[in-house]
Amino acid sequence: MDFFIALVSDPVGFWNSHTLLISQIGINGMLATSMFLVLYSGQLSLAAPGFMAVGAYVSVLMELYWHTPFAVNIAAGTLLAALLGLLVGLPVLRLRGVFLAIATIGFVEALRLGVILNVPITGEGLGLKHTADPLGGVPIILVSLVAVVLVVWRLTKGRLGSAWAAIRQDEIAALSQGINVARYKMIAFVLSAFLAGYAGALEAHLSFIIAPLDEQYGVTRAVQILTFAVLGGSGFVLGPLAGALIVTLLPYIFLQAGPYINIFSGIFLIAVIVFRPQGIVGRGGLALVRPAWWPRARVRAPSTG
Amino acid sequence: MLLRLDDVQRHFGGVHAVDGVSLEVEQGSIQGLIGPNGAGKTTLVNVITGYVRFQGGRAWLESDELTGLPAYRIATLGVARTFQNIRLFKELTAVENVLIGMHTRLRDDTLAQLGTLPFFRRAQQRHVRDAYALLESVGLAHAVGQRKAATLPYGDQRRLEIARALALRPRLLILDEPAAGMNPSEKQGMRELIERLNADGLTILLIDHDMRLVMGVCKRVAVLNFGKKIADGTPEEVSTDPTVIKAYLGTGGEREVTSALGAGGVGEEQEVEQSATAGRSAKEPDQPILDIQDLTVSYGAIVAVRGVSFRVGAGEVVALIGANGAGKSTILNTLSGVIRAESGTAVFDGLDLTTAKASTIVRRGLVQVPEGREILARQTVLENLELATWARRDGVATRKKIDEVLKRFPILGERRDVSAGSLSGGEQQMLAIARGLLARPRLLLLDEPSLGLAPQMVDEVFRVIDEIHDEGTTILLVEQNALRALGIADRAYVIETGRILLSGSGDDLLHNPAVRRAYLGG
Repeated sequence: MDFFIALVSDPVGFWNSHTLLISQIGINGMLATSMFLVLYSGQLSLAAPGFMAVGAYVSVLMELYWHTPFAVNIAAGTLLAALLGLLVGLPVLRLRGVFLAIATIGFVEALRLGVILNVPITGEGLGLKHTADPLGGVPIILVSLVAVVLVVWRLTKGRLGSAWAAIRQDEIAALSQGINVARYKMIAFVLSAFLAGYAGALEAHLSFIIAPLDEQYGVTRAVQILTFAVLGGSGFVLGPLAGALIVTLLPYIFLQAGPYINIFSGIFLIAVIVFRPQGIVGRGGLALVRPAWWPRARVRAPSTG
Repeated sequence: MLLRLDDVQRHFGGVHAVDGVSLEVEQGSIQGLIGPNGAGKTTLVNVITGYVRFQGGRAWLESDELTGLPAYRIATLGVARTFQNIRLFKELTAVENVLIGMHTRLRDDTLAQLGTLPFFRRAQQRHVRDAYALLESVGLAHAVGQRKAATLPYGDQRRLEIARALALRPRLLILDEPAAGMNPSEKQGMRELIERLNADGLTILLIDHDMRLVMGVCKRVAVLNFGKKIADGTPEEVSTDPTVIKAYLGTGGEREVTSALGAGGVGEEQEVEQSATAGRSAKEPDQPILDIQDLTVSYGAIVAVRGVSFRVGAGEVVALIGANGAGKSTILNTLSGVIRAESGTAVFDGLDLTTAKASTIVRRGLVQVPEGREILARQTVLENLELATWARRDGVATRKKIDEVLKRFPILGERRDVSAGSLSGGEQQMLAIARGLLARPRLLLLDEPSLGLAPQMVDEVFRVIDEIHDEGTTILLVEQNALRALGIADRAYVIETGRILLSGSGDDLLHNPAVRRAYLGG
């Protein structure tokens, strides 16, 4: 509770003492938006942590070896992630649904376990230490988040967005309307990789070390990002963003639970899925859905015989 | 010539779905494409529109070659289509569906979107106005525009799909069974729409099972059978072509000739039936095995069945007939406990069906073979049958019963290890009936057993129903194919908009002109 009291009573002090948390919310918000892009175009891709790793390692390695400026490092990491998105997308975007999910998980784990752990320049399992100032980036992150969300929101409103919506609803019908399904799916996938790479590059500079951990660049992270979208709702760009905010804050919301915090967080997530299957931001205002098994008043028809 | 096909080939495994079809569609015409089930009509459309690849032959739209192009390119060239099983963007509104149809004509606005420039807003408003105009042109009211496609009534969904196709400004519109599942007045509306679109200069390729519609609107009709074109000409030429008649009727009776080809009334053929069904009683039994009183069933605000009462005696075959949406299937689903009645009673052998659990009802011996068969497509024939006996404990007897059923349906015996999904429609229906029999029914509810089957297969299914009946099982049959149903029924009830309109013995109703009106809307 103290956490939220501090937020209201002393916003300036809160801002200064929670820089890292605010940054993490911003990063996760961009990752959620990256997830939104693929889901909005009907693709269950879990590839984001792989593209994050590319953004992170490329930017840190450039800094360590070439001492290039921060902005150049970030840009290079982001663009390489997008390029890799194009290369990965060519084979895997033929797949749909859960098959695409498995293929993208394969990509993520192959990159982490197969490449990063085996190429000496990445520091292998020990990771890379670097000297970036982890505190300097908060305004950059927040401004980026706002820009990213605005751009993606506008994209969903135009011809591109309506093509994505059509593909999500029915690929076969979309083809019959002259929509180049493969191309539009690729656009969404590459944009999503671009955002994940950017978020990964920025995130790498929140701390002094990057390492190929599962919860950072592996399946666990992929599931976390998917949770943002599922919890928040993926029909509207603000949905995954709300999901990212809530999931990132969960440890603070349930601070009082101490060692049982994961139990409470779990119950909370299940409750949202049960009573709000469309996500927190979705149709139906704030109304909750009553599941079929929920007890309700029985109306007995008068017996006629 | 607008569309020209030259020796188009497509096979799936060993099946020649389209086997060397050549066809020409004249600019400004309505070309019909008909054929029995499984003749390859939809495959041909899928090949032309790029959904299924050519394995031989070529196709041109005027001077543009379509062969080998991906589906979206063919759509861009001006070939629009609708789908047999309606494929709308369900969660989008009607207007949004049409706007997506304009995709190929809209300028890419990605950059303009980012700036939301005023000229762009104006353009967008114009497109929305155009979309509403298209909705209106297919007969959809302005208010429909803001509704989600999935919430529209069936007939409106068909019209919306056509509006979306028109948004492409096509040179050729392919309609794949646009009138399927429509009632007579909806069919009439569809016919008027097709004629109006054609009068505005649009070339249409029409596929439908409703001969009245096809023969009525088309200037030329091509007939496919087993992937080959067997006839091509004016409706009159085609409907009198002996090859066509044979393709449709197989070895069946004379009766279907005119009903299948829609050439005229049903009246004159009924003499054939008369002798066969004479002597059957129209009277309801005093000691019924099934007694339904004043049954009313609703889906929310829609009352599907309104106060229906009838009785079925042990050993009878009773048919419920009537047009689509009359409430026939709802009655069966209520009896089997799948849907709950709003009021009224239905008693089967002392068991109140309106309150009993579906599993209890089956154990009592009331077994439903549902519409659309609902077999497990990925399981083998044998596995499907074994699952039907899941609840039984007596292993040896069960085994014997399955063998017995397989003997009755030799075709299933031959294919016992084949996955059920690969069976033909008729074989799947046999499997569904066989599965029903394994539940040891005393009263068998058959819901549209002839749905979507070729005439030869329909004969076969009705032969089986007759056999089952001869062995003492009581049958309650729901059929759209009224002539066939009346042919075997002791008694029949004509259902219209949830009410019993007429009842009588099978042959009484065969001769009653009111049946034809209720049924065919003539």
